[in-house]
Amino acid sequence: MSADASLASEGAPSPGLLRQAQHGVDELDRREAYRQSREAAARARAFAEADAEALDGLVSVRPRQTVPRPQPVWDDAEVLVHEPVGERYRRLVVASSTIAHTALAGQFLMITVPPHAGDTILLPRPMAIHRRRPATADRPGTVEMIYGVVGRGTRALAAVPVGGTLQITGPLGRGFEFDSGTRSALLIGRGVGICGVMGAAEDARTTGIRTTMVLSGRSAEQLLGRADCAELGVRIIEATDDDGSSDLLTLQNSLRARFDGATPERTAPDVIMVCGAGVLARLAAELGAHWGVPVQASLEAHMACGLGYCHGCAGPVRTDPSVEGPLVCADGPVFDARIPVV
Amino acid sequence: MVAVRADTASPDARAASPDARAAFPDARAAFPDARAVFFAAAPAYRTTANALPVEAAMPGTPAVDLSVRIGSLTLRTPVMPASGCFGPELGALIPVTELGATVTKTVFGSARGGNPVHRLTEIPAGMVNSVGIPSHGPAGYLASLHPRYAALDVPTIISVGGHRPSEYAPVVAALGENGAAFELNVSCPNLDRDGTDIGSDPAAIREVVAAVRLVTVKPIIVKLPVLVASIADCARAAEEAGADAVCVANSIPAMPLDALTRRPILGNVIGGLSGPSIKPIVLRLVWLASRAVQIPVIACGGVQTVDDALDYFSVGASAVQVGTASFARPFAAVEVARGLRQRCQDAGVGSIRELLELEVS
Repeated sequence: MSADASLASEGAPSPGLLRQAQHGVDELDRREAYRQSREAAARARAFAEADAEALDGLVSVRPRQTVPRPQPVWDDAEVLVHEPVGERYRRLVVASSTIAHTALAGQFLMITVPPHAGDTILLPRPMAIHRRRPATADRPGTVEMIYGVVGRGTRALAAVPVGGTLQITGPLGRGFEFDSGTRSALLIGRGVGICGVMGAAEDARTTGIRTTMVLSGRSAEQLLGRADCAELGVRIIEATDDDGSSDLLTLQNSLRARFDGATPERTAPDVIMVCGAGVLARLAAELGAHWGVPVQASLEAHMACGLGYCHGCAGPVRTDPSVEGPLVCADGPVFDARIPVV
Repeated sequence: MVAVRADTASPDARAASPDARAAFPDARAAFPDARAVFFAAAPAYRTTANALPVEAAMPGTPAVDLSVRIGSLTLRTPVMPASGCFGPELGALIPVTELGATVTKTVFGSARGGNPVHRLTEIPAGMVNSVGIPSHGPAGYLASLHPRYAALDVPTIISVGGHRPSEYAPVVAALGENGAAFELNVSCPNLDRDGTDIGSDPAAIREVVAAVRLVTVKPIIVKLPVLVASIADCARAAEEAGADAVCVANSIPAMPLDALTRRPILGNVIGGLSGPSIKPIVLRLVWLASRAVQIPVIACGGVQTVDDALDYFSVGASAVQVGTASFARPFAAVEVARGLRQRCQDAGVGSIRELLELEVS
């Protein structure tokens, strides 16, 4: 049999056979997609439950602030940088000299999302201020945010071009505060939570506090904050899901070993500041209890106004049913975190 | 006029540290921001014989009078926030004196903590909230919140709630001489009637308003819910019992589910839908209510722009409330008020009524 004859006899499958095969493949794809969506739903439920359990009884409103909070403003801020960071995040730098000048570490903005492709976003999105760069003689002050594209709002936000303007309101909420006399700090951030604590690293740099930051995330390639830490003179501890180093118990043990007091360099930090999931806040509180140092944790919540009047963002603090608990936007987002005494 | 607080007047952490101040040599400079520009764009007013400020008219054009009467109360402009969508925190962010009034979050007779998380969410149809109206009761309101509303220098309309018809009048009595008017939020489950809305039952509305009428001479506004058998009957019940206005309507009962987990998003499972998508539903209600009563109808539902407000005026509303729009654009209500004045000026007319007559002729 010649090569040609062989080709002719095996030939291309009939259209009917192709359709049948494609149908089988489609069905397998659909089943796989369904299985994946159920798994994602189970993960989302498990995450929400673990988060609520970890935060139960953990946080309380911080003692009265000694420094008055800056007056929030709203501004039409020019978008100077808007670019992907890794696969999952986007960096947004906007010009607002007022907010860049007044914002305190750990404060946040409400970002009003313009309509996109026929979709109108009603509620502004709260976003942590990652970096503050006050105005200089030749350029306006800027604030930088990093966010993940996770839903309708952030998808529409991602479409805003450089050179466009975004309406932002801020700076909002109660941020991270260093007590006077603080010499060293351990900052812990996971995912975009790294950006929630970076303002504390900026302040630590200004006031000469020795700082170490845990950068936690799914993989080493996707970790945020390395360049910021390098710029701010912050020592980095990387913890990723890839190699298991971000596992809560593993991370806790490695941090305990790292700050075991064996040398002056290994003295426990004077304060821990954390931004990530509830389980991470709890890990920080356990470390704080172990070392006998205070812990400040930044939380997230669904909110509409960001100022305190809509009462949408009840904090995870149990109160008498007739008393409203603290609000994440006005009493937080940064709270004290302590392991509850059982 | 509430003074704009200069940002530089509030000390911050960096200013407190001399080292930090040295690091930011421009730290005491003032910067322009959009909020400051918006404040500066306020229209110039002159005061008329009845002490109401009226837009200083261009020569040859009539002065624009947007004022509206709610019983014995005259509002300079027919735009106000919706209850729950405003707080004294906004006093420094927007020129509140350009609004006709402020409306407070609902005050209940006893303290309430509010609902569990999550209290609000956004779905493609709009915002859904179930905040549960945390309240400190009338004494707590008067001690902590009312002075801040009073300082805003516009009439304060105090929203009042109750779990049964008998609970409203004692709250109004306890509020005494405070506030310029009362808005009775009757969109509350009636615990005497298996949780049906008080405001869906004309007899219950009559009972609430008649009792409140006995304890105050101030204007009474009744804020009606969306889900009623007859909005006309409800509005008439309020009018006959002595109300000075009705507010139509409130958020629409709704239940958002998480797309992935199919679980309720809200801690309270059900909540109220608001935003621009409810406007056609509320327009119908405002039209029906306006035909049924002589007292003013205040429209509340999805107002974002001056045209939304004019739509409501065209079906019979005398004033509008702005709610959900204020979250994304804190200045939305002020913008609507300025827009109404501007439209009248552009058309060379002195009132919204004349403007609408011009449009249909």
